[in-house]
Parts: sequence; structure tokens; C-alpha cells
Amino acid sequence: MNLSRRNLLLGSGLAALGAGTLSACSTSGTSGGSAGGGSESGTALWYWAGGLSDDVVAAAATQFPDAGITPSVIGGDFKQKLQTTLAGGSFIPQITGVKGEDMPFFRTVADKFTDLNTLGAQEIAADQLAWKWAEAQTQDGQQLGFPIDIGPTAMFYREDILAQAGLPTDPAAVAAATSTWDDFYVFGQELHAKVPGSFPVGQLSTVFTIVIGQIPQRFVSEDNTFTGDSAEMKQAWDTTVKAQTLGVNANASQDKDASLASGVIAVEMGAAWAALDIKNAAPDTSGNWRVANNPVKPTNFGGSFLTIPSATEDKEGAFEIIKWILSTQNQAQAYTDASIFPADPAAWDLPALTGGDEFFGGQKTIDVFGPAGLEVPQQYVAASDAAVSAPYFNELTNVETAGKDPEQAWNDAVAAARDIAKRQGVQ
Amino acid sequence: MSSAGVDRGFRRVSAKPPVRAGAPRGRLRFWPQYVAVSPFFLLFALFGLFPVGFSAWLAFHRWDGLSPVTFAGLEQFRFLAADPTFRKAVVNTIVIWVLSTVPMLVMSLAIAALLNSVRRFKTFYQVVLFLPSVTSIVAIAIFFKAIFNNRVGLVNQVLEGIGLPAVEWLNGWWTIKIVLALLMTWQWVGYNAIIYFAGMQAIPGEVYEAAKLDGAGPLRAFWSITVPMLRPVILFTVIISTITGLQTFTEPQVLFGTNAAVNPNSGGPGQAGLTMVLYFYQQAFNYNNYGYGAAIAYGVLAIVGVFALVNWRLVARSEK
Repeated sequence: MNLSRRNLLLGSGLAALGAGTLSACSTSGTSGGSAGGGSESGTALWYWAGGLSDDVVAAAATQFPDAGITPSVIGGDFKQKLQTTLAGGSFIPQITGVKGEDMPFFRTVADKFTDLNTLGAQEIAADQLAWKWAEAQTQDGQQLGFPIDIGPTAMFYREDILAQAGLPTDPAAVAAATSTWDDFYVFGQELHAKVPGSFPVGQLSTVFTIVIGQIPQRFVSEDNTFTGDSAEMKQAWDTTVKAQTLGVNANASQDKDASLASGVIAVEMGAAWAALDIKNAAPDTSGNWRVANNPVKPTNFGGSFLTIPSATEDKEGAFEIIKWILSTQNQAQAYTDASIFPADPAAWDLPALTGGDEFFGGQKTIDVFGPAGLEVPQQYVAASDAAVSAPYFNELTNVETAGKDPEQAWNDAVAAARDIAKRQGVQ
Repeated sequence: MSSAGVDRGFRRVSAKPPVRAGAPRGRLRFWPQYVAVSPFFLLFALFGLFPVGFSAWLAFHRWDGLSPVTFAGLEQFRFLAADPTFRKAVVNTIVIWVLSTVPMLVMSLAIAALLNSVRRFKTFYQVVLFLPSVTSIVAIAIFFKAIFNNRVGLVNQVLEGIGLPAVEWLNGWWTIKIVLALLMTWQWVGYNAIIYFAGMQAIPGEVYEAAKLDGAGPLRAFWSITVPMLRPVILFTVIISTITGLQTFTEPQVLFGTNAAVNPNSGGPGQAGLTMVLYFYQQAFNYNNYGYGAAIAYGVLAIVGVFALVNWRLVARSEK
């Protein structure tokens, strides 16, 4: 071929195309290892930003030099990427994180993961939180995931605003004054009456998330029937919309960060990890926040797992790495590094967690979150739960932004949820 | 006899050389050209044609993304026909599209006419106009979310500053659509203006000179010369805006992308920002309902097809 300008352009174009394809392969190759997931190709470890402590992961690579650990922080929609990779059947990581909210789905495809009980997980589980381990258990008892962290819920509040309203400010006293939802609303009404610019509820969905975590049965039961119209669910709904009818809802769903910073939201219920969100949203309010138990009992919101896909060849080796990364000491380290609240209760006694938090006025927040973590009720979450629950959250938004009648909203939510449940194959 | 023999011989003579010697060389002669255009067709087959076919097949099945696929017949389409949320999404999409496209194209035309009449800094204006369409849509959406914030947004501060009541932009059925339409208008108005401007450059100057001699003012010239002669360009922009407008996805996703764990991609308060493609994404990727997602995608295709046809009919008829 004579070297003309056209040939050169054509050649370099094809070369660029080829290089693009090759580099695409090599990127996934280094992170994914071989199709079968052999140990000779190294141990690929997938997690998302903030899912594990980067320092602990880096230390794991030196701790297990022969395993060839190659950590990959996967951005974007983690579940979707893991799902596509598992469906594709190649470049499957040897160890991967699974987010707590995605576990109900991955539990339905248990054959894609290794039963950790075959590797001796029961012995470890015995000393840990039964409700958390149960989240990653199939109905026939396979243990698919090793818990990384948990999200026990509590009530964050502005001490200065409560003081301004002449209300109790000490965490124990606040918890005592708000031990039931009725008490909480009496407390909240007084707060809003004395300080009209502040509200005890940021948005209805926050309350609803906590209340449905407290009832025994969510939207779809274990035998796959629709339970979104139960008396308990209606009770949970009524408890939630009460915030609206009493006029104590700030309705700050679209400007939550600004509302946290400006004191519009004086009380915010959420999981342990939500402390970081508040710190980021309202750094100027440092020292004014406290944390107390939320009404009735704590629930869990979020908290993830490490799993071993069934394609992994060296399952024992992978389990050794998981055990090391999620050892008590390293879980405490992860809390220090990335505010990942340990799933292992033994870590709560370590200095990393027992110190006071300046943002919370020096309060030892573990005194609230620790006991809360122990008391979280066990609850079955179906794979279709997220889809079936969506209409309730949509209708709550209609109640708070469009002034929709709560009864009408409830009826519409149940009707829509029933339709979606049917589409999802629920009886 | 002899004439038949001549005939046969003539045929043989004329047929022989091109078929035996010419054809293989003819096919091979163009190989660099075929190779040169092949990347598009290969990539299109892989990433365009295959997904189109696969999702058509998927629309008749149930699939959660990992489990075995099961046949569902017309079930997904039956759900789609009866789905009030999909109807809501269709209405939302069409309203947002009308709110954005109609003012946008009128403004583009006016801007193009202005651009056509300026003498200096033409390239500078062109660059400025084109800039929004190459800016990251996610960044713009985040910016819009901040300035239209219900409580602390710039727009509300200005409104209150001049004594008007603040508007809860991101809460109302209409206001959500207006914000989305403004976002899309801002992004594409310059792009369409540049296209119109290019079309105007192609209109011969003599036509305007003749009109001027006949006593037509600039407005008359615009309506009687520029607009009619731009008709093919206008048809192009209307169809392109229809197709992109009916596939609006990123804007509402970023504007109302709430905490992914609870009710993700719902389209905001009252689901007023739930567009057809956002609904498709939610069903397929958030709720692992790939079969239903594929059915929604084909619903979107049908609606876009109908709109493109109507557009073409309207503009083509007025051309006669």
C-alpha cells in the first residue's frame, strides 16, 4: 500500500477504533479478572465511593499479597452495573459490595452468589446483629452477604431552637418527651408555636419511612401477597399525614439542605449515616445539633453487604479477605475514615466510636445509635417492595404540596400500589 | 438461420467480457470505501439495531435482568394501555414539549433574523448562541434547580424584591413544566437559531432587493420571503425538536433526582415532571421490570412516530 494521505487517514482511523475497543476491554479486564474468576488473575473487589474505607481496602492489598487484590470504585448506578455484569457472565468481580436496598432483589437470584454459610459464616454471625444478617438470607437459609454497615435511625434536633421554644434539650429528656408519635406531635406543635419559623418535620416521606419500618408487615408479605392496605399500614399513613393536618410539616423536600442550614428543619429523623448529610448541608450549625431516640422504636435504613459471586473460583480466599476487611478493628477504622457505621456491635466499644462528636456539641452519639442498632426490629422486605411503595410516597407529596385530601390520597395510593403489585407478579 | 446465428454470436460477444472479468474486480474495486463506511454500520448494528430488536422481543416477556426470561404474551401492552401513570407521563411530555418547542422556534427565528441583519461580530454572536447546546445538561439542570428553589432561589428573591409573591416553582403541576420548558428552551434556542441563520444565508439577495424595489419593508420581507423560503429548514427543526422533546429525560431526572433508596425517579411533586422516557427508565432500571420497560419504549416510539407524521403533514400541506 502506497502511503497516501487517504490511506494514512483510513489506517489511523481504524487503529484508533481498534485501540478504543482494546482499551475498553483492558479496563474491565483489570477490574474484573477472567471470565471464570480465577485466583491466578487476581481478586477484583467492587464497591462504590464511600462504600468501604479506601485505606482499609489498600491495607487489604498488602495484607494478602498473593491474592492480587484490585479494588475498583464503581461510579453511577452500582446495582445496574453489577446486574449487567452478572447477566453477561464475564468479568465478574471475585468480591463485590451490594447495597442494602438492592439486597431484596439480589436475594431472588441467590444462585449468582456464594452461600457464605458453606465457608463458616454462621460462627461469625452468632456474635452479630441477627436482623442485619437476616436481610441477606434467603428463605431456605443461604447467607449471601456479610454486613458492612447498618443504618439505625434516631432523631437529630437543634438544641438551640428547642431551648428557644422552652422545651427540654437534653437527649434523654427529649426522647422521653417524644416516646410515642402522639407525644412527638404535641412536642412538635409547641416547638412550631413558639418558634414559627421552625418545624419538627422536614417532609412527610421522612416520617413515613420510619413508621413503616416499625410495623411488622411492609407492602408485600413473605408469601408474596399484597399487604399495602392493611390496618397497620393505614395507621402508619394516618400517623404520617398528621404532620400535615397539624401544620408542623416544613415541606422542604426540594430544598432540604437550605432548610437544614437555616433552621427551618429543627428536627430530622434519619439513619446514623444521615449525620454526615447534615454536617455537609449545614456546617455553620456545628455544635447546635443533638441526637436522641426517635419515637416508639428505632428502625433500620440502609447498610450494605460484601458478597462473593458464585463465579469466583477461590471462594475460601475471598472469604478470608472479606473477614479481614470487615474485622471489628477495620470496621471501627472505616467509621473514622468514611463515617461507615459498623455492623459489628463489638466495634461500637472501640475508641473510634466512643469519642464525643463536636458537631453534636461533644455528645457521644454511639450512646444513642448503639442501643438503637440492637433494638431494630427484623422486617421482611420483598424484591418488589420499592416499586409497590412508590405510590404512597407520590401521594404523600400530593398531600404536602397540592393540599390533596389525605383520605383520597390513601385510596389512590392503595389502588395504584395494587396495580403495580400485580404487574410485579404479586398476588 | 444465419440471422439467428449472428444474433446468438452478438449476445455472446456482448455478454462475455463484463461478466467474467469485470464483475469481481468491480465488487472489490470499492473495498476502501466499504471499509471506510463500515464502522458506522457495524456499530449501528451492534448498538442500534440489536437493542431495537431485542427490546421488541423483550416487550413480550417478563425479565428482571438476571432470572430466566418468561413469555408474557401481550400482557405488558395490556398493562401499558391501562396504566394511569403512563398516561400521566404522556400528558406531561406533550405539555412540556409544547411549552418549550413553540416559543423556542419562534424565538430562534427572530434571533436568526437579527443575526442576519447585524454587520459586525457575527462569529462572536454565533459562538455565544451555540454555547448552551454544548454545555453539560446535568450542570444546567443543577443550576436551574438552585435558581428556581422554592425558598431561597434567585428567581423568588427577585420576585419578592419587586413586591410580587414568591412562587413554589418546584412544587406545582404547571410551574414544574414551565421550569423544565425554560431549561430546554435556554439550551436549544441558539442551536435552532444557527440553523435558521444558515438557511437565511442561502436565500438569494436579489429576492430581497426586488422586494425592496416593490416597496416592502423589513417585516413584510420577513413574512413574505424569509419564512416561506425557510420552510424546509423549519420542517427539519420542528421534527428534530419533536423527537428530542418527546424523549426528554435528563432534565427531570436531575431536577427531581431524590434519594435513590426511596421512590427514585418519580418525576417530582405530583409526578408533574415524569416524562415518558423517565418512566421507562424507572420501570426498567430501578424496579427491574425490563419487559414492561421495553413495552413503554415501544409506546414512546409509536407516539413519536405519530407526532413526526402530523408535523410533516402540516408543514408539507402548507407548502402547496
